[in-house]
Amino acid sequence: MSLHKLRLAAAVPVTISTFSSRLFLKPFPNTLTLGLFSRRLQPRKPLLVRAFSASAAVQDIPANQTTVSSVARRPQWKASIDFKWIRDNKEAVEINIKNRNSNADLDAVLELYENMVNLQKEVERLREERNNVAKKMKGKLEPSERDRLVEEGKYLKESLVSLEEDLVKLKDELQHVAQSIPNMTHPDVPVGGEDSSAIRKEVGCPREFNFPIKDHLQLGKDLDLIDFDSAAEVSGSKFFYLKNEAVLLEMALLNWTLSQVMKKGYTPLTTPEIVRSSIVEKCGFQPRGDNTQVYSIDGTDQCLIGTAEIPLGGIHMDSILLESALPLKYIAFSHCFRTEAGAAGAATKGLYRVHQFSKAEMFVICRPEDSEFFHHELIQIEEDLFTSLGLHFKTLDMATADLGAPAYRKFDIEAWMPGFGRFGEISSASNCTDYQSRRLGIRYRPSEPLQTGPNKGKANLPATKFVHTLNATACAVPRMMVCLLENYQQEDGSVVIPEPLRPFMGGIELIKPKLK
Amino acid sequence: MSLHKLRLAAAVPLTISTFSSRLFLKPFPNTLTLGLFSRRLQQHKPLLVRAFSASATVQDIPATQTTVSSVARPQWKASIDFKWIRDNKEAVEINIKNRNSNANLDVVLELYENMVNLQKEVERLREERNNVAKKMKGKLEPSERERLVEEGKSLKESLVSMEEDLVKLKDELQHVAQSIPNMTHPDVPVGGEDSSAIRKEVGCPREFHFQIKDHLQLGKDLDLIDFDSAAEVSGSKFFYLKNEAVLLEMALLNWTLSQVMKKGYTPLTTPEIVRSSIVEKCGFQPRGDNTQVYSIDGTDQCLIGTAEIPLGGIHMDSILLESALPLKYIAFSHCFRTEAGAAGAATKGLYRVHQFSKAEMFVICRPEDSEFFHHELIQIEEDLFTSLGLHFKTLDMATADLGAPAYRKFDIEAWMPGFGRFGEISSASNCTDYQSRRLGIRYRPSEPLQTGPKKGKANLPATKFVHTLNATACAVPRMMVCLLENNQQEDGSVVIPEPLRPFMGGIELIKPKLK
Repeated sequence: MSLHKLRLAAAVPVTISTFSSRLFLKPFPNTLTLGLFSRRLQPRKPLLVRAFSASAAVQDIPANQTTVSSVARRPQWKASIDFKWIRDNKEAVEINIKNRNSNADLDAVLELYENMVNLQKEVERLREERNNVAKKMKGKLEPSERDRLVEEGKYLKESLVSLEEDLVKLKDELQHVAQSIPNMTHPDVPVGGEDSSAIRKEVGCPREFNFPIKDHLQLGKDLDLIDFDSAAEVSGSKFFYLKNEAVLLEMALLNWTLSQVMKKGYTPLTTPEIVRSSIVEKCGFQPRGDNTQVYSIDGTDQCLIGTAEIPLGGIHMDSILLESALPLKYIAFSHCFRTEAGAAGAATKGLYRVHQFSKAEMFVICRPEDSEFFHHELIQIEEDLFTSLGLHFKTLDMATADLGAPAYRKFDIEAWMPGFGRFGEISSASNCTDYQSRRLGIRYRPSEPLQTGPNKGKANLPATKFVHTLNATACAVPRMMVCLLENYQQEDGSVVIPEPLRPFMGGIELIKPKLK
Repeated sequence: MSLHKLRLAAAVPLTISTFSSRLFLKPFPNTLTLGLFSRRLQQHKPLLVRAFSASATVQDIPATQTTVSSVARPQWKASIDFKWIRDNKEAVEINIKNRNSNANLDVVLELYENMVNLQKEVERLREERNNVAKKMKGKLEPSERERLVEEGKSLKESLVSMEEDLVKLKDELQHVAQSIPNMTHPDVPVGGEDSSAIRKEVGCPREFHFQIKDHLQLGKDLDLIDFDSAAEVSGSKFFYLKNEAVLLEMALLNWTLSQVMKKGYTPLTTPEIVRSSIVEKCGFQPRGDNTQVYSIDGTDQCLIGTAEIPLGGIHMDSILLESALPLKYIAFSHCFRTEAGAAGAATKGLYRVHQFSKAEMFVICRPEDSEFFHHELIQIEEDLFTSLGLHFKTLDMATADLGAPAYRKFDIEAWMPGFGRFGEISSASNCTDYQSRRLGIRYRPSEPLQTGPKKGKANLPATKFVHTLNATACAVPRMMVCLLENNQQEDGSVVIPEPLRPFMGGIELIKPKLK
């Protein structure tokens, strides 16, 4: 139960593969060409993968560039990265970067940090000298001595201005390079690529069908539930209309999920779906660049959310919470929008990978010592929900190379999808420890002073600490529909509604073929 | 019951005021400075208002410019019935004036005549060229052949140049003619908003024996709405719903859907990102400084301001069977609006926001049925709001208050105690064939219209344009304004209307939270 020390937090702005995989919409494991290809490449050819899994912004900077020359754009915000801790735990950080297949350059970070510290000392020394000169000039002085001091003061001031400019640039560059350092990793996480992910739990078994089965696309057409064709004309490919019972099923899924999760003390929310790009970045996603998953709004700095995790992370941004207010547990309903740039292949069929979908997302803000507990609570809630719906699924403890930069540990749930003839990801639960809170500026003030000795400073108030954040999918509607339609189809083409959902859709027990 | 002839359809791409008013999110009538100001201006200074209520693209063209000049090629064309416009010039002229439209009918008719003449000339030249070609097939004197070759060459060159002119002329005609508004139902009162007629009034304002709060205060005190966090995360006029407000939103949508489905409406969820052309075809303006529409960076897509847009698009470019009509839909979607130019007291709290949930009804029917369904739609709205115990009135909106697509529009305004006035909560519009002529939605009558011996397509009757209607079933934030403000109790709690309780786990009361 002891939570291992974790002071480090830094972000590789996430890319196609990592973004989608964190958010549960990743390619299938093992069985599909696409999945196989990209996964297998990772462990064997780290250099090739680097280019792929690194963000455009990070790639722009040659990793060995440590001089102050940088033309890096000024960051609009700064992550509170604990550089001292990184320096003092260099070896652990180095191993972690390697295990997670990250392209972060620790040597560059540490060199920049040292330069920065030295420059800061130099700046402080010059400031002191300048102050001394100023102090001297207050007294009565020989004119020649005054002239000398004026000259010296002028010279010091000029040096200071120039050094301070260098310091700003150096800090910007350090921030830029250091943000690519991934979160540390829970010691129990298996080291390796996706093949190394450990099965945590398995529930149910694949249903045996005594008739030729349809996939959800066919069922959706035959039962007049899903219209991809009209949406392709109106919006583009991978958009869809839901129709008839599918609309009620979506509502029932969300309604039921909310009511179940609220019982566990989670506060329901609806969220804005347009947010400032900086919030997206601070949560560890990359809102710009060729391979971004994020839709941007024309002519503003806003974009559409890919998951409610983003507005949930933002809700307590830049604030200091009371310890007594923790944990904050939310269950939010939102629509999610993703460009799915680069997605292709069989795993993109039908509802499995779409540009817009409904999702209920859980989010927890807690004390560092409690995040492990809530990570287990979250995965337990997910497992209970999917068990109640009668799904056959397994929970995986995802291996190091499969973690997005923000995650300290991630559990994925993959459910059996008969139409695909394989498991597909339907949810995930991540403990991001203080990776996001160090970017979003979410702190809390412990109720009891940490040090009771006579300390100088703020009326004995204990120092603030960064909270831990966790996020977990409660219900991603389209993938749940894939599971429900394909697993509960009958020989006559109808689909049975799982019992828990029936009260939430007016008692409907069966989706029957429509009379024409 | 006889539906008056309506062949004309054309669009002024809408602006702040017209867009928002059609979609029910318009400034308050009469009482607010903003409303007063813009409305009064319209009546007194039509020339000034023109510049305001016209779209940027229309303004770009000087109204007197009738020559064949360069205009951005339209990406799609409305099937405007120019012959009908020409033959009903006077009625169209009066309609344009009544609706305060800046459409320039004279320019349209002049361009149309030029186009027709040019088309005739092109046809004449084509025939001549064919004659020349025919002559050259026989045996000919060399000198005669040379003469014919020369003639053919000259004809061909003239044709190429004229055909180019024709394309340009058609583009310009389309561009100018799209600003002609729909014709107007004869019962619609002529004039500005003050002329709108009250169709029905239900209930009376509740009398409070205690100091009332507005929905913003109630939302804060009951921990239901968070505008402050949303301002940081997204910007002003965004919000989080919290606690019972989330359940109330779900209950409102769920209950509305279940009620409207009973009337034979098919439930839908829709894409919220659509191609810009669909937005235009529905009669909205997706671009320009004053657009209400959020565009996606680097694509031709934008966010929907109402589910009317993806509903209009679902049967785009198709010919429906008459037996399939009417098609009646109730769609749930989120809606996104820039609300550019919106300011003042009417923008307070949930009344005017950038993102909200809405259930929207949409009907596709035969022309002879649209009047019937317009009344069905407003009746459904009135029944819904009556069931929730609201005090409201239904207005038959006056000509100057109609957006270009509407042939007739009923608005419902409900009493909002916090504002101390009525606020629009829904609207129901009959767009006749204005949208279908742009979206290309036709149907083929089951029985041939003419049974006489006619040349042509195996006696299939000609296709006709359908009529489209749209109506708000439930715009969640404005319903919340009404429910919170009207149902508040002296102890700060809010009573949930009975019909909604089964849809929110039996909750009867939103009580102040214990801290």
